[in-house]
Amino acid sequence: MMTDTITTLVDPAELEELEREIAPDADADADAGAETAPSGGRLGRTVVPARSDEPIGPRRAVRGVTLDDRFNLFGALAAALAVATLLFGWLTPMTGVVGWLVVAFLVFLGIYALLVAMRSDRQAVVDRVMTTMLYSAGAILLAALVFVVLYTVGRGIPAISHLNFFTETMKFAGPLDSLEVGGILHAIVGTLIQIGIALAITIPLGIATAVFLNEVGGRFARFVRTISDAMTALPSIVAGLFVYSAVITLITHQRSGFAASLAITVMMLPIVIRASDVVLRLVAGHLREASYALGASRWRTVWHVVLPTARSGLVTAVILGTARGVGETSPVLLTSGVTAVMNLNPFEGPMISLPLQVFDFVKSPEPNMIARGFGAAATLILLVLALFAIARVIGGKGPGQLSDRQRRAAGAASARDAERMSQRSRPAAATAIVEAPADPPRPPGASDGPDVPPGRPAPPEAQTPEERPA
Amino acid sequence: MSSGSDTTEIIEAALLNGPRESAPDDAPRPRPRSLDAKASRADTVFRVVATSAGGTTVAIMLAVGVFLSIRAGDALQVAGFSFLTETEWSPETQTFGIAAVLFGTITIAVIAMCFSVPLALGTALLISEVVPGRVKSALVTLVDLMAAVPSVVFGLWGVFFLQANVIPVAQWISTYFGWIPFFAVTDADGNRLTDASAFTSSAFIAGMVVALMVVPTQTSVMREAFSQAPVGEREGALALGSTRWGMISTVVLPFGRGGVIGGTMLGLGRALGETIAVYMIISPIFEINWQVLKTGTNSVSALIALRYGESSQFGLSALMAAGLVLFLITLVVNFTASSIVARSRSGAESGA
Amino acid sequence: MTRTPRLRRAFAAALATMLLAAGLASAASAPAYADTWQPIDGTGSTWSQNALDQWRKNVASNYGMTINYSGTGSSAGRQDFINQRVAFAVSEIPFQAQPEDNSPPEVPQTGYAYMPIVAGGTSFMYNLKIGGKKVTNLRLSGEVISKIFTGQIANWNDAAIQADNPGLAMPDKAIVPVVRSDGSGTSAQFTLWMSKQFPSIWTAGMRSQFPTPANGKAQNGSLGVAGYVSQDYGEGAITYVEYSYALKSGFPVAKVLNPSGYYIEPTYQSVAVALMSASVNADLTQNLDSVYNSGDARAYPLSSYSYMIVPTELNKVFTTAKGRTLGAFANYMLCEGQQQAAALGYSPLPMNLVQAGFEQIKRIPGADVSGVDLNTCNNPTFKPGDSPSNNQLAATAPQPAACDKQGPDQCTTGTAGAVEETPVTGTGGGGGSSDAGANANAGGTPSAGAGTTGGGSTGSTGATYDANGNLVSGGSSTTAGLAVSSPFTLADPGWGPAQLLMAAAGILLLVAIVVPPLTSRRLRESRPPKA
Repeated sequence: MMTDTITTLVDPAELEELEREIAPDADADADAGAETAPSGGRLGRTVVPARSDEPIGPRRAVRGVTLDDRFNLFGALAAALAVATLLFGWLTPMTGVVGWLVVAFLVFLGIYALLVAMRSDRQAVVDRVMTTMLYSAGAILLAALVFVVLYTVGRGIPAISHLNFFTETMKFAGPLDSLEVGGILHAIVGTLIQIGIALAITIPLGIATAVFLNEVGGRFARFVRTISDAMTALPSIVAGLFVYSAVITLITHQRSGFAASLAITVMMLPIVIRASDVVLRLVAGHLREASYALGASRWRTVWHVVLPTARSGLVTAVILGTARGVGETSPVLLTSGVTAVMNLNPFEGPMISLPLQVFDFVKSPEPNMIARGFGAAATLILLVLALFAIARVIGGKGPGQLSDRQRRAAGAASARDAERMSQRSRPAAATAIVEAPADPPRPPGASDGPDVPPGRPAPPEAQTPEERPA
Repeated sequence: MSSGSDTTEIIEAALLNGPRESAPDDAPRPRPRSLDAKASRADTVFRVVATSAGGTTVAIMLAVGVFLSIRAGDALQVAGFSFLTETEWSPETQTFGIAAVLFGTITIAVIAMCFSVPLALGTALLISEVVPGRVKSALVTLVDLMAAVPSVVFGLWGVFFLQANVIPVAQWISTYFGWIPFFAVTDADGNRLTDASAFTSSAFIAGMVVALMVVPTQTSVMREAFSQAPVGEREGALALGSTRWGMISTVVLPFGRGGVIGGTMLGLGRALGETIAVYMIISPIFEINWQVLKTGTNSVSALIALRYGESSQFGLSALMAAGLVLFLITLVVNFTASSIVARSRSGAESGA
Repeated sequence: MTRTPRLRRAFAAALATMLLAAGLASAASAPAYADTWQPIDGTGSTWSQNALDQWRKNVASNYGMTINYSGTGSSAGRQDFINQRVAFAVSEIPFQAQPEDNSPPEVPQTGYAYMPIVAGGTSFMYNLKIGGKKVTNLRLSGEVISKIFTGQIANWNDAAIQADNPGLAMPDKAIVPVVRSDGSGTSAQFTLWMSKQFPSIWTAGMRSQFPTPANGKAQNGSLGVAGYVSQDYGEGAITYVEYSYALKSGFPVAKVLNPSGYYIEPTYQSVAVALMSASVNADLTQNLDSVYNSGDARAYPLSSYSYMIVPTELNKVFTTAKGRTLGAFANYMLCEGQQQAAALGYSPLPMNLVQAGFEQIKRIPGADVSGVDLNTCNNPTFKPGDSPSNNQLAATAPQPAACDKQGPDQCTTGTAGAVEETPVTGTGGGGGSSDAGANANAGGTPSAGAGTTGGGSTGSTGATYDANGNLVSGGSSTTAGLAVSSPFTLADPGWGPAQLLMAAAGILLLVAIVVPPLTSRRLRESRPPKA
């Protein structure tokens, strides 16, 4: 194949640059590899400036809190609690926990300001008071959010502490039955099936669209982007209403898991497109240029450079979209139907999902049903949080950022490449154009896939054409 | 193979000219290099596939939009302009309008903003400016995590916990601030109501729940905007003797203003469209209720969830018209938000 | 190409996991007989949802049938049936040829029949406390009920309510009528009754969409209204809902005055007695005029039954295989299932309706008619060979207690889900009006209830009952102070010496905190110039 010539023409330094672009921190090993490579090419080498050997002094603590500050804070706090308790308990007929908290907080702010004002000027007082306000805002917000989750999980414990809650369906459980009977297996399975179908549509379509927006471009792409941005504003209930009136009323004539999947898809697709679009846009242009410069086709560039580079971001985009889709109740409320039994066929009959099951359970006045509702909600939260944690682990790094293992592997691979190139380029460089098509010299180790370490990340795409059987 | 030979040509030309430095002037130039690359077959396929994916997406989206518009059109033709002014919802008798439901939707969203914006602003500043590194990343994770909590969970919490516990607060507000028209809770004759039941299922409670739901999103957007405030200016402010708050108020806030507005509006967009938590909490009414603490409010999405099942075809059209109006409102809000956010970030794009 | 194998491996792993999950799931849920029955779906009435939920569970465990029922409201159920989204619908009222609001008539495209499934009483569940103790024996006349739900009576101490309940000291508390926000057969039944009996009070005719009264609240579904009433903050609320919901929530229902002058609770017996006078139209729709005016002293006036709307022709979702399942399910409901009706809070169908229901089963395409036989039908209302006009339940139903008769006496026994007794002033002096004597009397009595807070022991005869009620209400729940009733507000007492002292103490406290640091600072600032 003609493409084989390309690699032989390129100086290893080019490869190195590509490598460094992808793995900016992989300098040590990669440099070691580069050092061994001959500088026989016509191109200048990229020089990494030497680190200066000047000793760095110990870091100074700039965030320390003085004893005075600490006294002000705790003193004000103690005083506030005392005053509030005094007011509520002895002096005035005020009652209520909320009132006590509010009074205590206001008194705390006042006293704290006063204490700070004894030593400092107005600027400092404002600074301290505002900092306290910021802390309070953060504390209130996080406490409230964490409380919401813990409250739900806590009230769900009576239900989720029974194993049958996860292994049975509600088929044989009536409203009056105890928690020993019945479970939400059907809802869990329903959720998985519905989100599975939605993902099967959303992932290829969403990522392909995002690729289209970024890699193909043009006027139509701008139009697509505008439309999909607009659709992120579509309220989820309207997506459900659309599927209800267009698909259920006109075509399938029954609520089904598939209809619910469609509603979730309509809702998730714009989210995934938008997030993937942002991620793909973050792929550095140099990478694409390098790939094109190496003669890779557009398709190869996308498949071997852009997508792998953005992989963690794309996974995050998809998982975040999934988390939204899994937790959304309103579209499935209209489309999936309610059932108490396991239904594995998404095209026939109602198929309940977790959020809808929660909604259905808590309508009942029965304490056991409400406990089941909280149990199902807790399960849903755990599912979503697990998804999110996975997204965090995979997508916590930016594009091209590598773990230590990946970095070592990349370094080793590029060192090997450089070695190979140096062996080959010396005799072949001058005549490559003529000879290459016939039979490029192949070093023993580099021809087969298995020899490349498995943990190896995306980048050295330039070698792929060579490794691929012609 | 045609593509292959194309490639060779280009490479040959490139080699002759030298890849980086321009060739010596006296070098022979056989022919000018063609800059038009003919796409290979794989590329053609790729282009077609990508374009058709884009096309499919647009087709789906447009199908939703067009279907909604056409069906909504049926109802709008009948209702005409009164669709925006009528408060009753009775599509069967041809008297229906979204004045009351839209008013309720907006009330709930505005109340949600009153709670969420200060909290989000404070937390975003706390995370980006005050707390040290490790706590910071933990908080960022926590806030992002909360953005993924399903709305039905907030609804549960609102119904089973918040509702009962917020009533005394609402009663207190209406007792001492009842002279402000919003906070008064009166019956039709203007007599003050103090019963607990007069304070349940109100826009106030629904707004609080929705606030918690949107606040993580707002916090994330604001935090990102704040963290992009230039280091030079921050250090300048500090070097000139400013306190931390002084630095925040003179550097971070002005730079992050776009993010604050944009984050607020993104949250507003979500708050407007929120269904299930609102549906679980409110007691739907079809009149305009200015008293936010008083029981009874409504929202477009709750109306759809409530009435879709029993609606005739025309009733569905009317619901779709309501949904369309809601969609248009959130659309405007979202576009405004994203353009504001984009403008505020324009200097900080990646080098791609 | 290091990517492809890894991707492939990940794919394979995911696929294996899914297959495993699916396999587990199907193993757990696919008994051997599942293939002989088709799953069928239905939507509709929440009035009869409790019974259907129970039956659904029973046929699942006994026969392996899968019935999916979703209580979306009768109106939604009928719409689903018209649009052929479900195999059956359940509704309290038939398809409306002339809907209440002049909308186009509801006409299914394919054949259908009405099959009665369960009878019951539309009851008035309430949450009311006197002196912190739950009232369980409220009695109301039809006129009062109509006025409550039109907002004409807005306070529990209204003279008309007091007149119905001479033994109770009705508190000064706002009535919160809780109505259905969705289209509901329960609303339709209730409004039909009001429009027939009290056309001067209720002028809107039969309405599936109940217009929310100004002082009222709307909630979705029977569970929604019952749930609202049973909350702590639901004190003072009253709603209309099927008896079984009150039974399940543990809340009382009002005894309703019947034409014979007795206040009757909608037990299965009183409903059975009342429905003896129901006339049935040819299509099995009910004509309840004579039920409302039944002359039997034991009859509950708001008795009715609900229908299952079954297809008599195949349609888009209905096949003969489903017909076979539906037929068997219907047969179960009419016979065996009725055994549990009473326990659930409904009333079993009498023989004539079962007989008529059998005729409808035979019209369902695909239904197996071999088992449809009155003699093997294990229905509690008749024995094999009974005459259709007979009802075993009605024959054995007890006569109402004397204290339930209109007059100064009032029974103390609880109703529906609230079985505890409510003490009354036995003498009933001043039963006709809410004068102070009766109130003071009542205020002192609540301590009679077992294990109550004993708040009544304040016993201050001079105190008004509402203030008294408020003082003790705090002990009953964790959310103290929720049940503050209207005349007892904090702002009103004005500024007396006590309040002045409190304010002074508070201000002094603040001054004691603020002054020392301020003066010390002032002193410090003023010192350097001197030095």
